[in-house]
Amino acid sequence: MTTTQQQRASWPALVFLAPAVLIYTVFSAWPLADTLRLSLYATDEAGHAHFAGLSNFQTLLFDERWFASFGNALANNVEFFVIHSLVQNPIALLLAALLSLKGVRGATAYRTVLFLPTLLSVVVIGFSWQLILSPLWGVAEKLLGFVGLQDWFGPWLGTEETALPTLALISVWQFVGIPMMLIYAALIAIPEEIIEAATVEGASPWRIFWAIRLPLILPTLGLVNILTFVGNFNAFDLIYAIKGALAGPNYSTDLLGTLFYRTFFGYQSQVGSATMGAALATLMFLVILGGVGVYFLFIQRRLRRHAQ
Amino acid sequence: MTRVTLANVSKTYGATTVLQGVNLQIDSGEFVVLVGPSGCGKTTLLRMMCGLEEITGGELRIGEEVVNHLPPAQRGIAMVFQSYALYPHMNVFDNMAFGLKLHGADKAERQRRIEKAARALHIEHLMERKPRELSGGQRQRVAIGRAIVREPRLFLFDEPLSNLDASLRVKTRVELARLHRDLGATMVYVTHDQVEAMTLGDKIVVMHEGCVQQAGAPLDLYQQPANRFVASFIGSPQINLLPAKITATSPVVQLELPFGQPARATVEATTKLLEGQAVEIGVRPEHLRLAAAGEPPPAEGIRLDAEVVLVEQLGESHLVHLRAYDHHELVVRGNAHTRLRAGDRVVAWAPAEALHVFITDGRACRRLFPEGVADTPQ
Amino acid sequence: MSAAPSSLMGQHQAPKRAPMTAAIAKPLRVGFVHLVLGGYTLLVLCPILLVIVNSFKSRKAIFDDPLALPTAASFSIVGYAKVLGNATVGGMFLNSAIVTGISMVLILLFGAMAAWALTEYRFRGNRLLALFLAFGIMVPIRLGSVSILQTMVALNLVNTLTALVLVYVAQGLPLAVMILSEFILQVPSELKDAARCDGIGEFEIFFRVVLPLLRPAVATVAVFTMVPIWNDLWFPLILAPGESTQTITLGVQQFIGQFATDWNAVLAALSLAVLPVLLLYGLMSRQLIRGITAGAVK
Repeated sequence: MTTTQQQRASWPALVFLAPAVLIYTVFSAWPLADTLRLSLYATDEAGHAHFAGLSNFQTLLFDERWFASFGNALANNVEFFVIHSLVQNPIALLLAALLSLKGVRGATAYRTVLFLPTLLSVVVIGFSWQLILSPLWGVAEKLLGFVGLQDWFGPWLGTEETALPTLALISVWQFVGIPMMLIYAALIAIPEEIIEAATVEGASPWRIFWAIRLPLILPTLGLVNILTFVGNFNAFDLIYAIKGALAGPNYSTDLLGTLFYRTFFGYQSQVGSATMGAALATLMFLVILGGVGVYFLFIQRRLRRHAQ
Repeated sequence: MTRVTLANVSKTYGATTVLQGVNLQIDSGEFVVLVGPSGCGKTTLLRMMCGLEEITGGELRIGEEVVNHLPPAQRGIAMVFQSYALYPHMNVFDNMAFGLKLHGADKAERQRRIEKAARALHIEHLMERKPRELSGGQRQRVAIGRAIVREPRLFLFDEPLSNLDASLRVKTRVELARLHRDLGATMVYVTHDQVEAMTLGDKIVVMHEGCVQQAGAPLDLYQQPANRFVASFIGSPQINLLPAKITATSPVVQLELPFGQPARATVEATTKLLEGQAVEIGVRPEHLRLAAAGEPPPAEGIRLDAEVVLVEQLGESHLVHLRAYDHHELVVRGNAHTRLRAGDRVVAWAPAEALHVFITDGRACRRLFPEGVADTPQ
Repeated sequence: MSAAPSSLMGQHQAPKRAPMTAAIAKPLRVGFVHLVLGGYTLLVLCPILLVIVNSFKSRKAIFDDPLALPTAASFSIVGYAKVLGNATVGGMFLNSAIVTGISMVLILLFGAMAAWALTEYRFRGNRLLALFLAFGIMVPIRLGSVSILQTMVALNLVNTLTALVLVYVAQGLPLAVMILSEFILQVPSELKDAARCDGIGEFEIFFRVVLPLLRPAVATVAVFTMVPIWNDLWFPLILAPGESTQTITLGVQQFIGQFATDWNAVLAALSLAVLPVLLLYGLMSRQLIRGITAGAVK
């Protein structure tokens, strides 16, 4: 980020930087560091925190009950992410590719509409879909009946095995717009002359897509994946809106975010513990950091090199 | 060997006509240059020949086939784009192999053709590099190489030199001419630079506002421009134009300049020339001579008293900007350097054979002695 | 170039695949495109339309025939009456508007200032600082919630809108700084140099020359920061769950939880929550999308 002519730093520079850096440090950076610190403390019954080293982590990872919860949430989160990767991003790629073709009538209208769900509140989406999928109302059943699949319908949101995938698909439905837009922007950034050159050389549109367009947008696809990863492992709102903090049925929709919320605040019979919550947050941080680290160190560099 | 024929080709976008009534015959192995100012339609015409734009009217034949509805890949053409359009994520070898792979050439064949082209273009050492690691000139060679390996029956070039700096442009121009000679291929080349057109083309097609103004050999366009536009477009500095009136049409065409001076031009007196008609006289800067005021000039076609306004010394030549009769501005080009200075009074003259005459609609009268003017040193 | 033998000029070869004539391929292709795009559009619109359409029907009609449009007989706005009659709705809406509006302004202002400082001035730690800020894009701020809450308690800011604003500004700054930096780099340096030559001070240069040029960036920053703030559930839940400070998102969620079986009210509440966004989007969509596709993908 260097310009060819940068001025010497003077006190105006500091004034410009101060508000942003101050707020960011106090309310974002420092709390994160403090959480890491807090995770090394434990609270006793009286509510006092004392230094406890890695005992919180030991509990989380080795205590049977805790580990069951943590492992369950982690596994669910992974499943959540995998579904997004396999469903959301390919759909986004397909939609973006179709939108970027020349001469598609109504492309602007499509683009506008397809981006809409991203703007809606999670509460709205969660509840709307809950209504639609509700066996009581029967709308979903009726719609499936149009394509002859009504026997396939079931109380998906209420069944243990299907609850999480259903929630994941609802989340995909909501967020397809963002990767779609990012991929679309990358596709239209490809100079038209390159596509023309390939056409003149005899490539079919299908061939052009696989041999020219896709390789050139690989960095964007990588970015989309890592943003999905971070977003998924931070997810909370949709689950809370539809299932509440208990993430039922029987914790089958419990993600790290909801587990964190319960640990931190307490819920029903469970007492909240700031230090335990901090420890969980630290683990989440490490997971996310791990994923981001892997992306930046290995994948991103290779993608950049390949695409230029 | 392929000839290309355009019969009454036109192009409209909705209500706007961009090209009309283009008739062109390109012989096998010819190097044809489409030249003209921005917006004249030359690039559109090239893209129509390529297949990237639809042909609204008329017929395009490559060889004996009518190819109006064939996609680019089936026309047997290759195109070199202005920005080279190399595939950024492939190295040079793969860039050149892409088209061959699509056409089913096997590995050995691809290797053979690419090596041959690389040797011809001196890019063998660049095979592993990506486009972003190449200089502009190198990228252009790769783009040309990509076209060569396809062994097309027609090469199309869209202003390939315009992104190069001046010295590289001259050098590459020479190499393109040599490439054409070696390959013997039919080539169509678009440029807005008339110097490129004159030096490269076997045949030049000057276009303006969607119409072909004139098509012919470079020297023909220079000596016998079909109209005022072509005369102004070809030749640098631009031809000098003066309004005049026909006073007689035999034995030679005689005219009168607005300030009363008589003039004679050895052009064909067609039925279009009537006494009293308003026309324009054209004389190129390199055909005007300067004599000191008061000296009688040797042979007369036109003779003007003028004052020197500005002298530009270019080293190998010089340009003298004159103002004649307080009103008309002329440019005279001479060799080496001159001692003239601003403010000097001179007489600018040219022999009758050097003059062009253009009637009101811009069309030129045929010159009877197109070559009859020699450049003599001042 | 050396003299290449004229054997390079070969015969004209067509590509080795059965060429589909243009006449057949094109309509198939176009049909496929519209099938996919149209199909997914339907998938997007159906749930939303379903909710809105049914919010105008009587309870019986909702259940009897959910897919039907409201007729004269089944038309009913009893749900809306209940929702709008609830006195706190206006207040919650106002809370959301205040929090989102103020956060946006501060994010834009402080973000532009920081982006300007980072791109324009050379100083030790410039790059480190930029990296420090960029870190916040990847790492979610929620992870620090424990400490954030403790800080707010200490500052006596629990259950205030101020707490939300501070947190959202901290959340939105990293991305805003990144996007705005890209835009600032495109401001021609001649403008800044000319201003400096005229003796204009640094502050004036920023506020008078640079800031107005950042208008195209506003749409991009708005989409990526404003929408998550408006729709956020987490921080209002943790920092400001009190009745007077509830945002509309939290409020709707509680409301729905309360009236779970009152379908009219629920559907009306959802529709009301959706309509302002739809309206705003309808007005601003072109700029929004242009903003995203223009600058954000770096």
